[in-house]
Amino acid sequence: MSESKKKDDKAAPKTGVAVTLQDNGDRIVLDPKAGGGFNVGLGLAVVGLGAAAGTGGGLFGEQFQHSYLAAYMWALSIFVGAVWWVTLQHLFGSRASLVMRRIAEILAQGVAVMAVLSLPILVPIFTGNDALYPWADHEYLHSNHVLHAKAGYFGTGFFAARMVIYFLGWFLLAKYWLAKSLQQDKTTGDVAFYKKLQGKAAPAMIFFALSVTFCAMDLLMTLDPIWFSTIFGVYYFATCVETFHCVLALTMMWLQSTGHIKKSVTVEHYHDVGKMMFAYVCFWSYVGFSQFMLIWYANIPEETHWFHMRLVGGWKESTLFLAATHFVIPFFGMMSRSMKRNLGPLKFWAVYMLAVCWLDMYWLVAPNLHSEGGVPGVTDLLAWVGMIGVVIATIVFNLRSKSLVAQGDPRFKRSLTFQNI
Amino acid sequence: MTDQDAQISAPLHGILAEYDTPTAVVKASKKVRDAGYTRWDTYTPFPIHGIEKAMGIRMTILPWFVMAFALIGLTVAILLQWGTNAVDYPWIVSGKPFWSWPANVPIIFELTVLYSAFATLAGMLALNNLPLPAHPLDLKERFRRVTDDKFFLLIEARDPKFDEARVRSLLEDTAPVVLDEVREDRTSSDKLPRALIYVGIVAGVASLVPFALFAQARTQKMEHGRRHLVWDMDFTPSYKAQADNPLYEDKRAMRKPPEGTVARGLLNDDDQLHLGKNAQGNWATTLPASMSADEATMKLGQAQFGIYCTPCHGFAGEGNGMVHKRASALGQGWVPPTNLHEQRIRTMAAGEIYNTITNGIRNMPGYGAQMDDSERWAVVLYLRALQKSRTVGASQLSDAERSQLK
Repeated sequence: MSESKKKDDKAAPKTGVAVTLQDNGDRIVLDPKAGGGFNVGLGLAVVGLGAAAGTGGGLFGEQFQHSYLAAYMWALSIFVGAVWWVTLQHLFGSRASLVMRRIAEILAQGVAVMAVLSLPILVPIFTGNDALYPWADHEYLHSNHVLHAKAGYFGTGFFAARMVIYFLGWFLLAKYWLAKSLQQDKTTGDVAFYKKLQGKAAPAMIFFALSVTFCAMDLLMTLDPIWFSTIFGVYYFATCVETFHCVLALTMMWLQSTGHIKKSVTVEHYHDVGKMMFAYVCFWSYVGFSQFMLIWYANIPEETHWFHMRLVGGWKESTLFLAATHFVIPFFGMMSRSMKRNLGPLKFWAVYMLAVCWLDMYWLVAPNLHSEGGVPGVTDLLAWVGMIGVVIATIVFNLRSKSLVAQGDPRFKRSLTFQNI
Repeated sequence: MTDQDAQISAPLHGILAEYDTPTAVVKASKKVRDAGYTRWDTYTPFPIHGIEKAMGIRMTILPWFVMAFALIGLTVAILLQWGTNAVDYPWIVSGKPFWSWPANVPIIFELTVLYSAFATLAGMLALNNLPLPAHPLDLKERFRRVTDDKFFLLIEARDPKFDEARVRSLLEDTAPVVLDEVREDRTSSDKLPRALIYVGIVAGVASLVPFALFAQARTQKMEHGRRHLVWDMDFTPSYKAQADNPLYEDKRAMRKPPEGTVARGLLNDDDQLHLGKNAQGNWATTLPASMSADEATMKLGQAQFGIYCTPCHGFAGEGNGMVHKRASALGQGWVPPTNLHEQRIRTMAAGEIYNTITNGIRNMPGYGAQMDDSERWAVVLYLRALQKSRTVGASQLSDAERSQLK
């Protein structure tokens, strides 16, 4: 074993990580030549976000703030979804997914970048600028009895503390899973090691559930501070899971097309990812409709005005379009087994779902600014393109210099030979 | 012939190979698949991943079956809710439209899933030829271990390529633990079990009982009152409108509307229309703004005047209606109704006349309850026309009207 390690070290001299997987000869460290995606991503990010700020009235202009929030929450969902998924695999003691776990752990590191990129949204809150959140203006908060009662929750200090808890929590959790996983690479066959991680995954999952719920509420639901929906956190969570799985599939396909992990990740693993992509289309639809139906049926004005705004005028068509593209089309399109076992259709649907998940974020945010109706405008699209660049750059950057498979897990070989039904 | 004899001489069902390990049965399957046999199967205690590929089994058609039933369930749910709530018995639930699709979605979802589930279970059983009460393999003693730790492969005699010698040699090459023949079942009874028949009869009869009860309820008179199957629905704890509610001080179940509540149509905020008073509080001298002095109003006024005013005031408004004539004839003391053409009434403000019609004066009752505001104003308009008819000179008439005088 040590001879082959010496041979491979010349490709990855810094980290001493084996470049080739013993079991099947796969390349498991990112080829520096494939790292060009980082520059592409960075370019898109700078140009996209810069141009969006330009067309959107500056960094704190109303249009930019709204477009940025929609794109930001879309990007955040990918990385937060990764944190969730890694925690889940540890919690379930899952074996089949081990081949993919390192990729997800790497994806989860992106929460650090998202923490920094939250500043354009958070700074206006701390300076009392209500371009995005009406409650940032404290006079507005006390203008109305309902808001006055909620004022404590919107206090700058409490809000800042919550943001710190969410992002620090996710950051530490992502770092912990990756560090432990890399440590596990060096200790092969230790069952007690992964059992301990399984134990830690339980409280981690509780923290995750609370943090994703309240982060979604804080950043998206409070756009309309009077409105509330107790299932809102779950609704955003559905998007997190969906976008993560799409990005996981696309990342693995890209890695394989550039010569990495070609034999380790098989059609069986893609089948699993495809199944989850389909399942969460159903889950998103179920949660989204429940949110709508309960509010519609109770017919309480305090709750209905949020939906009313999205069901009259120009927004009615947009809502129907979202339901058609986010539920009806993917429900039938992603149902078949063959869609998940052929990379062409899988790639298409992964890109498609990423696009409609962004549209969902737009639908959540934009009616606040354009009450008569709307389709995504230039600023919205530029902000999204910018965030796509951020996602690409972050992923490619984090993929560097580490093993792409969690081979230290004693159950790893079962994952290599995993067969789906 | 005894059972045993019958069994020994029964036709061949197939050749059975027994194995100790899953690997062996999978390997054997590949050989049998490649040899081109179609009527054969493997029997294992647990599902073996990859054996379907080794056996050459193709994807089942069950999903299409399920999809078809899912769509049927969806359609049934929509039609059921539309038919009952919008067509057969339209009634308002929670202020929603008769056919409200958001409220229908849970049932639509449920029936889609339910029909899918039924199709999946029934379809799976049917495609597997289940339930299968008897199979020749049940007679093989060694086959009992298929639920434990042995793996079997059977090639049936009805396979088109079946040739006993060739099949035996093929299977022998796969190194089975035991190679055996299976004969058709000639010992088990092929009659339906008695118990099943009895249960079927009893269940069938029992299932008719509810229908008999329905028929009885629909055709016969009953002494007892309605049966209450759901007590909480029939005897709700809510307080009934005319009954007591001890929770309130005034003990009423029906509550008064809040102070200042006005019923629709009774706001009466136009003082001129409702009271005959103008903005300064004096009697109005013109028709209210909401009314127009046109043919229709005049005709309305003439009709109402004819109904309510002429009994006392007469058709010409001179005060000599039938009531006056009868009352005068009685000679018991009678104040004649006012002649509406006298100076006093001609110069009286329209609003004051309106007020008199509404509330009455001296012996005249008020007609506010019999005519609404605009009708009383129409009467005022007609009255003015009557008064004008006495005072207008011949010179003011048109030629056509003057020729009528002669």
